[in-house]
Amino acid sequence: MTNVSMTVNGKAVSREVPDETLLSEFLREHLRLTGTHVGCDTSQCGACVVHVNGKAVKSCSTLAASLDGSQVTTIEGLANGGLHPMQQAFTENHGLQCGFCTPGMIMTSVDMVNRYKADGKELTAQAIRGELAGNICRCTGYHNIVKAVEDAAAKM
Amino acid sequence: MSTGIGARVQRKEDKRYITGKGKYTDDVRNESQAYAAFVRSPHAHANVNGIDTSAAMAMDGVIDVLNGQQLTGDGIGNIICGWAITSKDGSPMNMGAWSALATSKVRYVGDAVAVVIAETQALARIAAEAVEVDYEVLPAVAASDKALAGGAALIHDNAPGNLIYDWEIGDGAATDAALAGAAHVTELAVTNNRLSPNAMEPRAAVATFDECDDHYTLYTTSQNPHVARLVLSAFYQVAPENKLRVIAPDVGGGFGSKIFIYPEEITCLWASMKTNRSVKWTSDRSEAFITDAHGRDHITTAKMGFDAAGKIVGFKVDTIANFGAYMSLFSSSVPTYLYATLLSGQYNIENIHCNVRAAYTNTVPVDAYRGAGRPEACFLVERMMETAAREMGKDPTDLRRANFVQEFPHQTPVIMAYDAGDFGANLDQAMAAADVAGFAARKAESAGRGKLRGLGYSSYIEACGIAPSAAVGSLGAGVGLWESAEVRVNPVGTIEVLTGSHSHGQGHETTFAQIVAERFDLPLENVSIVHGDTDKVQFGMGTYGSRSGAVGMSAIVKAMDKVEAKVRKIAAHVLEASEDDIVIEGGQVKVAGTDKAMGWHEVGLSAYTAHNLPPDMEPGLKEGAFYDPANFTFPAGTYICEVEVDPETGVTDIVQFTASDDFGTIINPNIVEGQVHGGIAQGIGQAMLEQVVYDDDAQLVTGSYMDYAMPRASDVPSFSVHHASTTCPNNPLGMKGCGEAGAIGSPPAVINAITDAIGSNDLAMPATPQAVWNAIQAAK
Amino acid sequence: MDMSGSYRIGAPRQAVWTALNDAEVLKLCIPGCEEIEQTSPTTMTARVVQKIGPVKARFNGAIELLNVNAPQSYTIKGEGQGGVAGFAKGAADVTLSEDGGETVLEFEARAQVGGKLARIGSRLIDAAAKKVARQFFDNFHDHLNGKDPPGD
Ligand code: FES
Ligand code: FES
Repeated sequence: MTNVSMTVNGKAVSREVPDETLLSEFLREHLRLTGTHVGCDTSQCGACVVHVNGKAVKSCSTLAASLDGSQVTTIEGLANGGLHPMQQAFTENHGLQCGFCTPGMIMTSVDMVNRYKADGKELTAQAIRGELAGNICRCTGYHNIVKAVEDAAAKM
Repeated sequence: MSTGIGARVQRKEDKRYITGKGKYTDDVRNESQAYAAFVRSPHAHANVNGIDTSAAMAMDGVIDVLNGQQLTGDGIGNIICGWAITSKDGSPMNMGAWSALATSKVRYVGDAVAVVIAETQALARIAAEAVEVDYEVLPAVAASDKALAGGAALIHDNAPGNLIYDWEIGDGAATDAALAGAAHVTELAVTNNRLSPNAMEPRAAVATFDECDDHYTLYTTSQNPHVARLVLSAFYQVAPENKLRVIAPDVGGGFGSKIFIYPEEITCLWASMKTNRSVKWTSDRSEAFITDAHGRDHITTAKMGFDAAGKIVGFKVDTIANFGAYMSLFSSSVPTYLYATLLSGQYNIENIHCNVRAAYTNTVPVDAYRGAGRPEACFLVERMMETAAREMGKDPTDLRRANFVQEFPHQTPVIMAYDAGDFGANLDQAMAAADVAGFAARKAESAGRGKLRGLGYSSYIEACGIAPSAAVGSLGAGVGLWESAEVRVNPVGTIEVLTGSHSHGQGHETTFAQIVAERFDLPLENVSIVHGDTDKVQFGMGTYGSRSGAVGMSAIVKAMDKVEAKVRKIAAHVLEASEDDIVIEGGQVKVAGTDKAMGWHEVGLSAYTAHNLPPDMEPGLKEGAFYDPANFTFPAGTYICEVEVDPETGVTDIVQFTASDDFGTIINPNIVEGQVHGGIAQGIGQAMLEQVVYDDDAQLVTGSYMDYAMPRASDVPSFSVHHASTTCPNNPLGMKGCGEAGAIGSPPAVINAITDAIGSNDLAMPATPQAVWNAIQAAK
Repeated sequence: MDMSGSYRIGAPRQAVWTALNDAEVLKLCIPGCEEIEQTSPTTMTARVVQKIGPVKARFNGAIELLNVNAPQSYTIKGEGQGGVAGFAKGAADVTLSEDGGETVLEFEARAQVGGKLARIGSRLIDAAAKKVARQFFDNFHDHLNGKDPPGD
């Protein structure tokens, strides 16, 4: 067992967990933040993406213990009250159907837009598709997800 | 902004999904939750000579280890296929026994032999590893044609030669004669590749037995909770229906794979009773690849005959369908009544004959996956049309047009009676949107860059709105396929609609509310949709076969008709007017041409206070209805795919994908277009990427997202989606259904485009760069 | 999966043969071998740890020598259960021929994997098997030349 302390969605948390606990398990099972989803076991689908110290990370392939002291943001904590422009854009553009991939899609997309803005690069539809390489959606065919990210990028 | 029929309303359910508050089955955790892990066979075919659970039982935190002998000993029934198909010699299909936990023999890699119940999921999985199973390995077979060939391993004793049925439809002699007299006959052999549905939410179940009430509650990832309850009760004898509540909360995609009732749900319910604990199981992805029913897997040869003018005179088809190791719930209907009945396509064909043999193999059971039978039919027919056009030197659109059904209703020789459509209008619309006229110039431009450009068509038709109960009953279905609804107007005038349809991404909470809000002219937020819980909803047959609109919404309309009739009676009584003069609008119930009116909510309140109701009227304002469709519905359309192939590498880019669909009435275009996008992406996946592969020993070798290629954002283009609609005459809203069209119509368009580009017709799905490159080389 | 190859080993044939039949030598040379026990002149049991792609498995297996034609050739057949990882089995026909003072070892092997190993690791099996084979023969060559692999 290891003690893991981190800040999750702005709140300090500390839990005694088995050494091999993944961040996804830590969030879902220990903190009961079930918005972060697990869709695969080979780090391929991106349903589990959260932000660690502001960067998108696949929580299914990160040990909770390795993040002691980190700042973690999950879909539940993305907006402080109201909706983040990315969340808004996903619903306005019908960028989700079953919603299972959605938290990971949104967390990945927020990070994507932030990076492009920081680098002063233009986020084209093609770039968005490339950047979403690590996120699988089986429902939407990506069409409206790409639209949503373009839309949010203009507003963020 | 309008929120009624045809409005692009934002989805009501989105808020919880985009904020991480959706509640999926794996998010459920009960007090003192116990966890299940299954011990699964690594062998494709083996006798189970013994199971040693002692090491697992000795582990700390292991509650119990249960096996198939105990399961069957407790009277849990075998898993059945609910659609009886009769072979052409009159014999019934050969259904082999399928116990939720194998008793003496395993028949595919992944077949469960035991289950460990433990205090944590990790512990359950570790303990499952410690269960020692003594397997006596038997020869195995994965391919359906090999399974049917003499000498293959026998999988079920009661299915000699591994043959489940040998079925036919249509007039064989007449078709042969027509082909013999044809001016041109095109022959084609196609394989419809085996797919894994891969809803992003893995299946899960949480089963809780309540000893005091002798009652079970099951949370499960289901497209049809009532069907699950019915089957779990009636066939698997887990518990009587009144002692079993099935809840399907938010469901993260299904595409058919969550219709069926699987061994895991049965086992969790039973194990909950055995251990007196709430038992939870969540599949991981690699487990999903070996437990979720697969889709497609047909091998087909066919001949189509044409007269000198290019009219089709006959179509003869021979198909082998792979059913895997056991018959899943609706497996038998897929390659028969959902496939062969659509072989007429959009065309007027007088003679059709199709023979289907279904085979057991040592693979995961195969059942309905998005489109179910119809994509197989469409792929064959549309590849055939394109191939024939090329052989006869005709333009593929001319050949299609010359054969389109023009008059409705149209009776095909394979059961279906098409009720409405305008196939030419969809083809025209798609051709205009795809700028087919400019294709030659684009092709020349590509050629200048050393690339091969191609254009491919697919004019699909499907039968949806599944299905008229008496009709499917006469064809062997074990259930009726109506839908039910209840519309409850509360005393304050808000409305709850309880529906047996169950959304797993389709947005019912929005579209269903739209038709109610429009009908009673109320704000959308005053209408709530209740679904997915057998304790709340009266009954239902669930969501599949693009039926929630055409069947589910029709049931709501029927219930609304009754509500409206009662509202009129109450208002006429209170306002002292004639029922015929009552109009419902703007939140009021008024007498036409007067200023007499009462608020909608006042009618609701009157119904419940019952102080002043017409004589003999019962209090309350809630009405239920069951709607049984009069016919299937027939969504149709034309898809055009334009590709650019790099001849050096075989890498294929879809540069444009255009769809023109006829779905009848559209309630919410956003949602309909989203269904088309997703369907097309899955169809492109089938055409270019996806393939479940078994090796010669029937070992699955594509068991993860590293090995099974799923379409990612950069694999698909943006889609150009259009509608040219005719109204369905057979249901009150005129709807046809839109959930499967994309997956049905797109694969042949893609393959027709690639084969057009490379100038070789010999290309199977999935058309990976390697396959395309090989086809180019072979044609040189 | 099929695999074949030939190795030149800097030792006389008899020495190679003896070593190939010596459980201790095999234990030293088989990559990941934790334990080997001779149960009869032609049978052994072994425990080997292998990592193939994302799947790590400890195989408990039985090894059997067939068609023994000393000091020229035999068939070595193995079968291992790797728990949830699945199973692996295979056989190799091994032939030794003399060439000067050295020995040329040729083999033809067939292997099969099942369960999770097949599902997730099959793309990697060929490469992994070749690597294991090469390591084995490198170790074996070194052993016969007095350089034992770094023990674990
Ligand atoms: S769950 Fe993390 S990548 Fe799939
Ligand atoms: S919305 Fe269902 S997987 Fe993306």
